Amino acid sequence: MASIELDRVSKAYANGAYGVRDVDLSIADGEFVIFLGPSGCGKSTTLRLIAGLESATSGALKIGGVDVTGVPPRHRNIAVVFQSYALYPHMSVRQNMAFGLKMRRAPAAEIARKVDEAAGLLGLSAYLDRKPAALSGGQRQRVALGRAIVRDPQAFLLDEPLSNLDAQLRAEMRLELIKLHRRLGRTVVHVTHDQVEAMTMGDRIVIMRDGRVIQVGRPLEVYADPADTFVASFLATPPMNLLPGRVEAAGDGVVVHIADTTIAAPSRCVPAYAPWAGRQVIVGLRPEDLHEAPNDPSYRPLELEIVAIEALGVENIVIGQTVGGESREVAARLNRRWSASIGARVTLWIDPQPIHLFDPETTRLIPRPPIG
Amino acid sequence: MRRLGLHFGLIVVSVVVLLPPLWVLRTSLVPESLSYSTDLLPTVTFKNYASLFASNRFGAYYLNSVVVSLGSVLLALPFAATTGYAFARFCTGGAVARFVVLATQMLPPVAIVLPVFTFFRTVGLTNSVPGLTIAYAALNLPFLIWILMGFFEGIPVDLEWAAMCDGATAWGAFWRIVLPVSLPGIAAAGVLGFILAWNEFLFALVLTGPSTATVPVALAALQTSNGVQIAKVSAGVVLAVLPLVVASRFIQRFIVQGLTFGSVK
Repeated sequence: MASIELDRVSKAYANGAYGVRDVDLSIADGEFVIFLGPSGCGKSTTLRLIAGLESATSGALKIGGVDVTGVPPRHRNIAVVFQSYALYPHMSVRQNMAFGLKMRRAPAAEIARKVDEAAGLLGLSAYLDRKPAALSGGQRQRVALGRAIVRDPQAFLLDEPLSNLDAQLRAEMRLELIKLHRRLGRTVVHVTHDQVEAMTMGDRIVIMRDGRVIQVGRPLEVYADPADTFVASFLATPPMNLLPGRVEAAGDGVVVHIADTTIAAPSRCVPAYAPWAGRQVIVGLRPEDLHEAPNDPSYRPLELEIVAIEALGVENIVIGQTVGGESREVAARLNRRWSASIGARVTLWIDPQPIHLFDPETTRLIPRPPIG
Repeated sequence: MRRLGLHFGLIVVSVVVLLPPLWVLRTSLVPESLSYSTDLLPTVTFKNYASLFASNRFGAYYLNSVVVSLGSVLLALPFAATTGYAFARFCTGGAVARFVVLATQMLPPVAIVLPVFTFFRTVGLTNSVPGLTIAYAALNLPFLIWILMGFFEGIPVDLEWAAMCDGATAWGAFWRIVLPVSLPGIAAAGVLGFILAWNEFLFALVLTGPSTATVPVALAALQTSNGVQIAKVSAGVVLAVLPLVVASRFIQRFIVQGLTFGSVK
């Protein structure tokens, strides 16, 4: 059993600053949880608190149901993979991987067997006698993983393990980590600032900012219903377009004015948005919800003056300035064959179904029922 | 034309810098009667070196220097390494402790040599090689702590964290991971400590006697009331400098490695 429970855990420093504040989280045994957030948000600090490398100033931490407050890392039976891999440079790959078992005084035969097994699993058998300096970045990362796997810990803590890899290798290792998790079935806490890792790898995402947990949920749920504008813009590239808007009652329904266009709110959202009639809101439009043509009669036009087109091959990211009212920059994901000249005025079509409205004062999402 | 001028200037500077030590070497290899002549190398003789060992007991003083310098380094390094690590990783004693360590280096040797002499005389450590070894170890300790603290700060803390997660205690992480990884830095500090101890004169003069003197004291004794025995002094200087030249070549490699240590990762 390797559930991890954080009960109002905080870490304050001598100067009064908080690394982590009132983190309340329950991670189930075998779950793959991603900690996502910008630099300095406290995700690595939280990881180190779970590992025991730092001690919390308040709150309780349990691993496998056991209170581990004050317990040193070596007694917590967790394995950490660091961003820098932290391979012992004076030891060979074999010695690196054997170190943990050697510290626990395992018999030599058992150490050899487990090291060979893990090396085989990770494709490292040919490199066992090399020193870390003679390995590529990807190989070093596998050694760091192998060192963790050999110990058979109750949980794996990964601190941005893919950050130092190039894009292609990162994509490969993402898949390898997912397969490894399925095979080993252990609890994994993975810290990253990469949204793709967050969306594709985790059972749940924990979004952090300024030491606090902002939102916890399944990746697609958090994507569909971000708790506030920060989560909405952080969890996508290009980020969600946030435009000033105004809600008005219109007969039985509700409309939202943005720029020079008016969008009828979907019927499922009317009860939630009706109290906001006559008030300013922040309107969230995902770039993928802007289309080249009105695929449905409910789509509404949005006129843009093209500022830039990023042709990625698979699609075009089009950036334009809204024409009416307060001019704002908007990004749209369009078909790779769509084209226009810089400075041209084009009309894109807004799909109103996935629209998001946020309270302009608290920046929090105005809750409404999900689509379908 | 500019390059010619630059090369000429560099040659002049090189001659100015290299001529004195080369002339000392030359003076050590010519008979005493020709010491002050301007002839470059009229004849070559090793009589000055032989005489130094035969009539001036230079061999014994050389051995004393080797024992004292090596001994003081071996005695000081373990303390320097552990203290430097405590300062680097745990900020033991805070800024006050670091300042106190540095402050002892600010004291001029002349101010502490007599109190040290009085104390050593009380405990019976004057005129002894172990006594001088202890004195040098204590004198050089703050400097070694400071150097090693810098090296340890350059080692990523991830390594020790990884070791502690793998099952090592804090001491185990230091002994099994930090020390082996910082060996180049420790070697560099050791060689620097050796050079400092080897060249030290004042404490050796005050704390040693006729049989326990070191090379700097022995060389000073060659300046007699009958005049300076320049040929023997030259031979003594060449012998004294030899280990330092070797040590400097050794340390050059490790100083560079040690200084760029923390930047790689």
